[in-house]
Amino acid sequence: MNLSEHDELMLNAYLDGELSPIEAHRFERRLGDEPMLGAALEARRALRSALRSDLATDLPSPQLRNRVAGLGRKPHANGSWRSLAASFILGTFLAGGIAWGIVEQRADEGISQQIVSAHIRSLMSSAPTDIASSEHHTVKPWFNGKINFAPVVADLAAQGFPLVGARVDVVDLAPAATLVYRAGKHLISLTEMPKVQDPTLPVGEHREQGYLALSWNDGQMAYWAISDAAPEELQRFVEAFRAAGKLTSLRTLLASAGERVARSAG
Amino acid sequence: MDVDDTTEQTRFAEVFLPHLVDAFRLAHWLAGSRADAEDIVQEASMRAFRGISGFAGGNPRAWVLTIVRNTSYSWLAKNRPSAIVLQGDLDDEARQQQLDQADPDPSPEAQLIAKMDSAAMRRAMATLPAPFREVLVLREIHDLNYKTIAEIAGLPIGTVMSRLARARRLLLASFVGRAA
Repeated sequence: MNLSEHDELMLNAYLDGELSPIEAHRFERRLGDEPMLGAALEARRALRSALRSDLATDLPSPQLRNRVAGLGRKPHANGSWRSLAASFILGTFLAGGIAWGIVEQRADEGISQQIVSAHIRSLMSSAPTDIASSEHHTVKPWFNGKINFAPVVADLAAQGFPLVGARVDVVDLAPAATLVYRAGKHLISLTEMPKVQDPTLPVGEHREQGYLALSWNDGQMAYWAISDAAPEELQRFVEAFRAAGKLTSLRTLLASAGERVARSAG
Repeated sequence: MDVDDTTEQTRFAEVFLPHLVDAFRLAHWLAGSRADAEDIVQEASMRAFRGISGFAGGNPRAWVLTIVRNTSYSWLAKNRPSAIVLQGDLDDEARQQQLDQADPDPSPEAQLIAKMDSAAMRRAMATLPAPFREVLVLREIHDLNYKTIAEIAGLPIGTVMSRLARARRLLLASFVGRAA
């Protein structure tokens, strides 16, 4: 059975938050009565979640960022390597200071500062972790009793990011799980917390004090990766971590969607 | 460098640069390749720089995405003429019929999506005609509302709604077709 054109438009507008409160209320009543409509909604929600987790991770190359940031700057009459270098540095400064400084997700701004502070503090202390272990079977149970959620502890040694250990950070007055990985000579802090502003935002970029932080979430948990490693390296880490954690979270999400459909059909 | 130039550069940096990631993602999903997307964004940034004095305020993100969208289509028409279905070529009625026939039983879709990997998802997106793909990308990746999408794509809101509905139905149908 196909949805009528009107129902399909209503369904999409409901999913996209474009219905007025009265219309949304009416539509929700119908959702309860018509399992067919509910199933079509769940399918579109699963599609959104998959699209956002799979497709929203691309970042432009630093070269493009520099080229765009350097636009309109007049080359000097005798373009020596010095002036080229100066314009490159200015370009990098503009790209870093402006593109990353004006954070798109303002709600995350405070969190990003706290997370970068925690990372910097850990680098200044005698050890960046409270428990030092490269064994994820040791690290995961260490969090028991310290935080009230089960963090994803991915083993990324094969991808070139060995686990160094873990610590508990405090973000917005709540404990958050932080894993520390090594990327060559740099350390990456990966903070996980059950604080989600919008369930499925694409990967966000934040710049604080020369550190790049990438944030994303899977609907239940928010994740923040921060490092002074090269942006491409951090991005590669985020992709590896997401790939390790993604299947589990997507399966959970869809299993719960499936149950709801089965319940409404039964 | 005189004062006017400096003002324009600052304005460009404030308006365009914060939306570089958005610009790149839109170009990537319209062009289908990173390399092409970088060329498109670079060209769009030059157009934006030249037109910055004409930006009268309002929503800078929508302004940037409008330029990137238009540049994507002109760049693709010039450099990848076979890769793109432009809006004028689209027979909405015929497509609607085709979609009606392909509309799957919705219950197994959620499970099918679970089995998709990123590569399959990208391939499925690539098969969507550009007018459907662009509204879907602007909605799901950029998280824009119907009004802003209509503004960027230069479409009436009703067309945005119907294209978005069809884009989702097409993608879901292509998953069911792939799995069968």
